[in-house]
Amino acid sequence: MSVLQEISTLLQQGRAPKVKELVSQAIEEGLSPTQILEEGLLAGMGIIGQKFRNNEVFVPEVLIAARAMNAGVEILKPYLVSEGVEPKGTVVLGTVKGDLHDIGKNLVKMMLEGKGLNVIDLGVDVPPEAFVEKAKEVNAQIICCSALLTTTMGEMKTVVEKFKEAGIRDQVKIMVGGAPVTQSFCESIGADAYTPTLQAAQM
Amino acid sequence: MPVLSFPSIQLMGITVKELIADSDLQAKGMKMISERVDSLASVSMMDLSVEAEAFGSTIKFSDDEVPTVTGALITSEEEAKNLVVPPVGTGRTSLYIDAIEKACKLITDRPVFAGVIGPFSLAGRLMDVTEAMIYCYTEPDMVHVIMEKVTGFLIEYIKAYKNIGANGVVMAEPLTGMLSPDLAATFSEPYVKKIVDAVQDDEFIVVYHNCGNNTIKMIDSILATGSAAYHFGDAISMSEMLTHIPKGTLAMGNVSPSAQFKGGTVESVKAETKRIMSECCSYDNFVISSGCDIPPTSSWENIDAFFEAVNEFYAEK
Repeated sequence: MSVLQEISTLLQQGRAPKVKELVSQAIEEGLSPTQILEEGLLAGMGIIGQKFRNNEVFVPEVLIAARAMNAGVEILKPYLVSEGVEPKGTVVLGTVKGDLHDIGKNLVKMMLEGKGLNVIDLGVDVPPEAFVEKAKEVNAQIICCSALLTTTMGEMKTVVEKFKEAGIRDQVKIMVGGAPVTQSFCESIGADAYTPTLQAAQM
Repeated sequence: MPVLSFPSIQLMGITVKELIADSDLQAKGMKMISERVDSLASVSMMDLSVEAEAFGSTIKFSDDEVPTVTGALITSEEEAKNLVVPPVGTGRTSLYIDAIEKACKLITDRPVFAGVIGPFSLAGRLMDVTEAMIYCYTEPDMVHVIMEKVTGFLIEYIKAYKNIGANGVVMAEPLTGMLSPDLAATFSEPYVKKIVDAVQDDEFIVVYHNCGNNTIKMIDSILATGSAAYHFGDAISMSEMLTHIPKGTLAMGNVSPSAQFKGGTVESVKAETKRIMSECCSYDNFVISSGCDIPPTSSWENIDAFFEAVNEFYAEK
């Protein structure tokens, strides 16, 4: 088994310390950081994502795999920067104002990172303005809003309006998700996409 | 038998914050609901913050939403070992027991069920729910230490409800629904079983609630808990679930609280209720219900529509 295959396998098993060790080894062996990222880390995360879609693995397995991936990415980061490698895009993500639930948001973050996107996590209880300010700061292409409460999902509409007020609505795609959110709600507030499942968020 | 309690705030013109702080209002709300709807039982609130608060978790309260646990109380095995199990009565537990005792005196035409959290869901709230799922792999011993403690507390808490005359509890284990079947069998099933074995008898039942989307895959583990009845959420097909439930064991569900009771219309609530009933009522052990706790600000037109749909379904047969 090549070192890249080993990285992928151990990532799928959630073996973060071993992933870090093997990523370092791969760098010492002269493999390119991009190759390590794509054929080792992202490949492993891709398999986990597919298994999750097929109900072969579940949330905890996705969480530990994502942790292992992030551990490997931390080792690679300085090398990727020096190579000029950039993420495929930038996402600003958060749970809306008044809402403290974060499992869904955390999972979406991990899965989007597993697709090679740079995800800025604003956390929970995020005011609408914060989505706009961060999006401008990092030149985000995608905004992900999460809510679990029926009384907070209305904040998503405010997020959409704030982007319009800031004059950058056309520069981003706004995705909304969470238990009370529906397709018709998404359309009614002018968001671009409703993601009913983790898998939908990745697509 | 929908999980219908929080919307009583509308009938009484109060907020959720006021309801959860007052046992008289809780009992009055349950009584008002029992007078309005023809439900199989009177079911108390699914407030999944009460037990965690008793252990010392920080809770965020709001006027219109169910309270939320914030932060993590336990982040190491040492902290788990040092975790003190609170006596029953700590925090709002005494108030909730008092509310059910009052409700039992007011409601005499149907069983009265208290609402409690399940052991893994409680442990998750003490560790942070995301971290808890990771700890199952990285710190299993720590998780088991916490599981033993929360199970001990829940047994005593549920016995307190039994002692004041409740007919049973609806025990909510939603976090387990996100686990793999193997993890559920390790970290939830034996502890739920311990609780059921300690409290359930011919006069007092445990209704196991799990609205997760993996409940069909983990049904063997769920059934191994020995609960008297099972309550499932709208993430699964109720008709498919019923093929796994032994005849003679009650299974309930699963009209969506958010999509229907809160976000639907009278027409959509009726249509969905009748759809589920048409698929499931051929099973004698099926009871139509909501998929989870009905949100506090769900319209009573929609809630009434659910019961109208049930009556219409049987009238049309």
